[in-house]
Amino acid sequence: MDWLQLLVFPAIRALILIFVLLTGFAYLTWYERKLLARFQVRYGPNRAGKFGLLQPAADAVKAFFKEEIIPNHVDKPVYLLAPALALVPALIIWAVIPIAKGTPAIADVNIGFLWILAVAGIESYGIILAGWSSNNNYSLLGALRSSAQMVSYELPLGLFLVSILMLAGSFSLVDLVEGSRQWWEWIWLWLAFPFFFICILAETNRSPFDLPETENELVAGFQTEYGGMKFALFFIAEYVNMISTSAIMATLFFGGWKGPFAEQYIWLGPIYLLIKVLILLFLFIWVRASIGRPRYDQLMKFCWQFMLPLGLVYVSISAVLAVFLK
Amino acid sequence: MPLDVAPVIRSYETQRTLNPPGIPALAPMPTGETDDTRRIIERFGKDIVAAGLHNGNQVVFVGPAQLKALATFLRDSAELNYETLIDVTSVDRSQLPLDGGVRFQTVYQFRSYSRNQHLTVIADCGTEPGGNGELPHIDSLTGVYRGAEWPEREVYDLMGIRFDGHPDLRRILMPKNWPNHPLQKQAPLGGEEVPFTFTWDDPEFETLGSQILPAESAAPDLPPGMSRQNMVINMGPHHPSTHGVLRLVVEMDGERIVSIDPDLGFLHSGFEKTGENKRYKDFVYYTDRMDYLSAMSNNLGYCLTIEHMLGLEIPERAQVIRVIMAEMQRIASHLFWLATHVLDVSGTGMSLLMYATRERERILDLFEMACGARLTVSYIRIGGVWQDLPDAFIAELKDFLRVMPEKINEYDALITEAPLWQERLTGIGFISAEDALAMGLTGPMLRGSGIDWDLRRDRPYSGYESYEFEVPTSDSGDCYGRFNIRMEEMRQSVRILEQAVGNLPSGLYKSNNRKVALPPRAELDVSMEALIHHFKLMTEGFHVSPGFFYHGIENSKGELGFFVYSDGSAKPYRLHVHGPSFNNLYAIDHISRGEMLSDVVTNIGSIDIVLGEVDR
Repeated sequence: MDWLQLLVFPAIRALILIFVLLTGFAYLTWYERKLLARFQVRYGPNRAGKFGLLQPAADAVKAFFKEEIIPNHVDKPVYLLAPALALVPALIIWAVIPIAKGTPAIADVNIGFLWILAVAGIESYGIILAGWSSNNNYSLLGALRSSAQMVSYELPLGLFLVSILMLAGSFSLVDLVEGSRQWWEWIWLWLAFPFFFICILAETNRSPFDLPETENELVAGFQTEYGGMKFALFFIAEYVNMISTSAIMATLFFGGWKGPFAEQYIWLGPIYLLIKVLILLFLFIWVRASIGRPRYDQLMKFCWQFMLPLGLVYVSISAVLAVFLK
Repeated sequence: MPLDVAPVIRSYETQRTLNPPGIPALAPMPTGETDDTRRIIERFGKDIVAAGLHNGNQVVFVGPAQLKALATFLRDSAELNYETLIDVTSVDRSQLPLDGGVRFQTVYQFRSYSRNQHLTVIADCGTEPGGNGELPHIDSLTGVYRGAEWPEREVYDLMGIRFDGHPDLRRILMPKNWPNHPLQKQAPLGGEEVPFTFTWDDPEFETLGSQILPAESAAPDLPPGMSRQNMVINMGPHHPSTHGVLRLVVEMDGERIVSIDPDLGFLHSGFEKTGENKRYKDFVYYTDRMDYLSAMSNNLGYCLTIEHMLGLEIPERAQVIRVIMAEMQRIASHLFWLATHVLDVSGTGMSLLMYATRERERILDLFEMACGARLTVSYIRIGGVWQDLPDAFIAELKDFLRVMPEKINEYDALITEAPLWQERLTGIGFISAEDALAMGLTGPMLRGSGIDWDLRRDRPYSGYESYEFEVPTSDSGDCYGRFNIRMEEMRQSVRILEQAVGNLPSGLYKSNNRKVALPPRAELDVSMEALIHHFKLMTEGFHVSPGFFYHGIENSKGELGFFVYSDGSAKPYRLHVHGPSFNNLYAIDHISRGEMLSDVVTNIGSIDIVLGEVDR
C-alpha cells in the first residue's frame, strides 16, 4: 500500500496541521492583543467570552460576512492570486519542522534547510504582486519597499542558516535536533540568535520592520485595496508566518521539541515546542510594544552595512570551527 | 462661476440698530509717539497717515503705495529690525461711518524679537473697477516676508482683497467655486442655499466615487507647479497621520519629496464670522473648538484681549488660577503631541501612546473637577474664571505634580535616548533661523531654530513675570531639537505649576466689576442691583469702546493671537484669530523637500498642528 503511505497519511497530517495552525493564528491574535494591551496599561478584548477568548471567533465571523469589493482598476487575476500566494508559503514551511522525537510535521526530507530558504523566498511574491496589481500608489510603494526589504534580509538570514548547517553537518532538521551538540556550539549559536531574530523580524514584516504596510505613511501599504476575507488572508499569512518562524527559531537555536522526558514520552515533544514558540512569540510582541520603526533607507543601510558583513564573518568563523573542532 | 445668491438678513444682525447714538463708530487715531514711530515718520514723512500708540500697541497707518517700502524698511533698518511678520488680516469697514475713507484695510502685525517690539501696521487698500463693483487690491508682502503667503491667501479668500505680486493667489479655506468672500459685511449669514447642491456640473464632481464604481481612475487637477512626470500622491483628507482632515498633495520622485501642496479648509467653520455676530462674552465658548487640544489657552487668549480693551483689572486669585489652567493645558497638549508623534513615527504598537494619554487623562480629570468639562472647557471667562476651584482640586493637582516629573523621565528612558528614535528625527525637517523668522513661525518651531523667545517671559501676561522658569531652545533646527524642546517645556510647566500652587492667594475668582462679570448666583436672591446687572449682561452684554487691539499669548503650539476691532457696540466688529498651527504648517513644504515620505509624517508631527485651528 505505497499510495497510502505516500499520499493519504501525509494528506491527513497536512489537514491536521493546517487546522492547528489556523486555530493557532486565531489565538495568536488574541495573545497579541492581550499582551499589547498589558504593555499599554489597557485591558484588551474582554467582552466576547471569558477573558475575551471568543474574540477570534467574532473576528472570523466579521471577516466572512464582509462584502467582497474588487475595485475596477485592479489587475483581477493577480489581485485575487496574491493573498493565496502570501498564505501558502507560511503554511507549507511547516512541513519539515520536527514536532517530536523522529517525527517531522509532514516529511523528513534531506533538504530541510533548502526548503526553508526556498519557501521564504516565495513569500515575498504575494506582497509584491498584491501591491503591483492593486494599481494604487500607496500599494506600489509598499510592495517596492517589501521586495527590497525581504530580498535584502534573506541574504544575512541565509548566511546564518548556512553556518548552522555547517555545524550540524546535515540538511535535515530532524537530524539537527536529534544530533548532539557540544557546549561551545550552543554558545556560538546563541551569539547569533539576536541577529537571526532581527532578520526574521524583517522577513516577516513585523514591527519595527513593518515598512511594507506602515499604516502611518502608506495607509495600509500593499493591502490598501484589499478588504474582507482577502485582507484577512494577508493577516493570517503574517501571523502564521510568525508562528512558523518562531518554530524554526526554536528548532534551530533551542532544541525544538527537546525537553525533560521528551525522549521517553513522545507526546511531550509538541508541548515543549509549543512552550518555546510561545516564548518566542512573546518576544515578537514585546518588540512591537517598545521599539519604534526605522525609516526605509535606514533599514536597508542596516542590512547591507551591518547585517551582511556580520553574517559573512559569522560564516567564516563557523566554517573554521566546523573543520577544526568537530 | 459666481452664483447669484440673495443675502438673507438674520434678525440678530439687525440688532445693531438698537445701539445708542454714536455707535457704530470708527476706531480713534493713535496718539503719542514712540522711538519706532518717530523713526518711521522721519523716513516716510507725509506718507504715513498716522502713527503712535493705541490701546498700548504701536500703530502705524500707511497708504497703499508705501506699504511695501515700509515693510522693507521695517525689516532692513538696523534700528528697527522687525524680523518677522506675525499676522496679516483685514477689516471691511462698510458698516462704519467712513466719511469718505476707504472701505477695506489690511492689518499687519510686525514683531522684532531682538528688540522685543510689536508694531501694528494698518494699510488702506486701493480699489480698481471690476466685477460687480470695486475690487480692493494692495501690494503683496510675500517678497519681503515669505510667511505672508498663506495669511494673504486667507485674506483674499475670506475678504476678497487681491494682493498684487502674490505668487500663488488661490482660495485657501473656502471651496474654489464659492460665490462670495464670507467676511465681507454684505455676505449672507446663513439661510442661503449651499453652493454644492447646485454645482454638480462642476468638473470636480465628475469623477466622484469612480474609484470603486466602474469607471476609469480619476485624475484630479494638479496644484500649480506639479508635474505628472513624478508620482503624485494624495495624502488625506482621510489619512492616518495628517492629524485630522488635512490633505497634502505630495509630488514624489521615487521615495523623495519634490514638493508638497497642502489643501486646507475641510474643517473651516467660520469662527471669525460667527464671532462678529455674537456678543463678546458669547465667543468664549467658540474658542474651545478651535485648538481643541488647548481650549484653556484659547479661552485665556481671547479673554485677555477683551479685558485689555475694557481696561479691566483681574483679581490676583483669578490670575493664578488662569496660569494653573493654562500650564496644565500646555502639559496636556504636549502629552497628546507626544502620543501622536510617537504613533506617527513608530507605529501603532508603541506603548508610549497609551502612557502619555494616561497622564493627560489625569489633567482632564482635574479640568472636569474644576468646571465639569474635559475638552471644551470654557472655564476662563471675561473678568476671571467661571467659578472657584473646588476644595479637593489643589490636593489632587499636587499629587499629579509629584508624579509627573517621574513620568517624563520614563518617556525619556523609553524614547528620547533610543537610537532608532534619534535616527528618525535628527537632521529631519531642518529649518534655519532666517527661514523660521521669514516664515513667521512661532512657538517650538521658532525656538527649535535657536530664537530665544517666549511670550510668557518676554511680553508677560496674567502675572507670568512672577514665576521662575526657563525657555528651552535648540540650535539644531530639526525635529529632534523640537522634540527635546517640548519635553523640556513640560518640565518647566510642572515647575510653574508648583510655584502657582504654592502661593495661590485667596480672594475673588472673578472681577467684581458688575458691568462686565456676572454677579454670583446667591446675590441675585437678595439684591435688585445684581438682578439688573445680570439681566443687562445676559440680554445686551457689555460695550467695548471703539478701537482695535492685537494680543498674543504663548500657547502650546506657538503664538495664539486675537485681533479685535470694536465699533463701540456689544459685538466685535471684526474678530480675527491668529492660529499658530496655520502659520507653522506653512513650513511643511519647505522642510520636507528632498526628504522621504516617512519624513513628511515626522514633520507633520513635529510641527504639531490641530486642524480645528488651521481651518478655523
